[in-house]
Amino acid sequence: MTACTVAVDAMGGDRAPGEIVTGALRGVEELGIQVLLVGREEEVTPLLPSPLPSGVSVLDARDVIAMDDEPASAVRKKKDSSMVRSAQAVRDGRADAMVTAGNTGAAMAAALLRMGRIKGVARPAIAVPLPVPGHGYQLLVDAGATTDVSPEWLVQFAIMGREYARVRLGVDQPTLGLLSIGEEPGKGDELRKLAYPLLQAVPGFVGNVEGRDFMRAETVDVVVTDGFTGNVALKSLEGALRSLASLVFGVFESSPEAKAAGDVVMPMLLDAAEAYDPELTGGGVLLGVAGVCVISHGSSSANAILKALAVANDAVRADVPERVREAIANAR
Amino acid sequence: MPAETHVERGPLGPDDVLAIIRERLAEILDIDETLVMRESRFSEDLEADSLALIELVEALEEELGERTVGFSVEDEDLVDLATVGDAVDYVMARLQVASAGS
Repeated sequence: MTACTVAVDAMGGDRAPGEIVTGALRGVEELGIQVLLVGREEEVTPLLPSPLPSGVSVLDARDVIAMDDEPASAVRKKKDSSMVRSAQAVRDGRADAMVTAGNTGAAMAAALLRMGRIKGVARPAIAVPLPVPGHGYQLLVDAGATTDVSPEWLVQFAIMGREYARVRLGVDQPTLGLLSIGEEPGKGDELRKLAYPLLQAVPGFVGNVEGRDFMRAETVDVVVTDGFTGNVALKSLEGALRSLASLVFGVFESSPEAKAAGDVVMPMLLDAAEAYDPELTGGGVLLGVAGVCVISHGSSSANAILKALAVANDAVRADVPERVREAIANAR
Repeated sequence: MPAETHVERGPLGPDDVLAIIRERLAEILDIDETLVMRESRFSEDLEADSLALIELVEALEEELGERTVGFSVEDEDLVDLATVGDAVDYVMARLQVASAGS
């Protein structure tokens, strides 16, 4: 089997290009993949060893899409940006997948406009893994790609999420839940009430789930929601976990006795907390576009990029776009 | 050159542009082409959001740009296009501008 080639948006993210390039080089070494580093040549090349390692190439792109750029118009206006060129490399067959830590909305627009949409898919959705202690992961779909949705689109998110859960979670028959404000079918806003009966036709649908059901093994494998709610939920979880960590660390510094106890348990706590680090989950996968696009955290380190590359490699190997296409076609 | 190909590559009229928009929009919105008419309103009748319109613009630039060098759509002009007919008229005007410039 030939090595998978991933186009890496070298200029995307708060720590680009340094951490991105370092992560990409580790990907070549540790995952056996090839990387196409897309970005300003004069900024990327000095970060590379000489001679250039096998499996590493550079594609010059002059522009950069900023984190605060308006997504669709940035993609339209900055055609020579590292992000748009990365998506184009996938469309043109120069790469099998793209990874970016840049502007999420722009990544969605770039992938949609350059790679195209899978036939029958109304709008793409981002599937983000949430750690479940001692159990692996739970998928949240959509984590922010499409904020305004129809009930039918939620059904598509469920179908795409379920298919991807098979690959990402390794679960043969994933269970699905609709995020709402109560478990009973009648609970929720108009959108959720209309979506519920439609979702009952999707295999694996178990009903509504609530915010407290995130990151728990005994609930569902895939939580389905619109991109607005999904993104709010994701950021709320990140904030709450960060706050909880501060609380725990604060307690261990509150007295000499607590500090002594902290010296004993802190290494174990830090190890356990690693599972919650969003950097290490490998990022979200954009479902519904005709190519593999992995969107990593905006503050991605080299380690996060390495994980994102592994996710991209797995998605290419499993042919996720084709699996999604089949799942959507079979549901029509 | 076969006659059919020659006709296909000749100057585009409003009906040709309407046919292209109809085909591309139906594909993007996953609806039947017959639902896309000259008087159809993008938002109210076809439920096309801003991203769908950007997809349409990109598709038109790709297809029409191959025929008429320099054809492009200004994003700022999109807000003035309420119906499919508006888009056809706009595209015709832009095609003329591009032809005059080349």
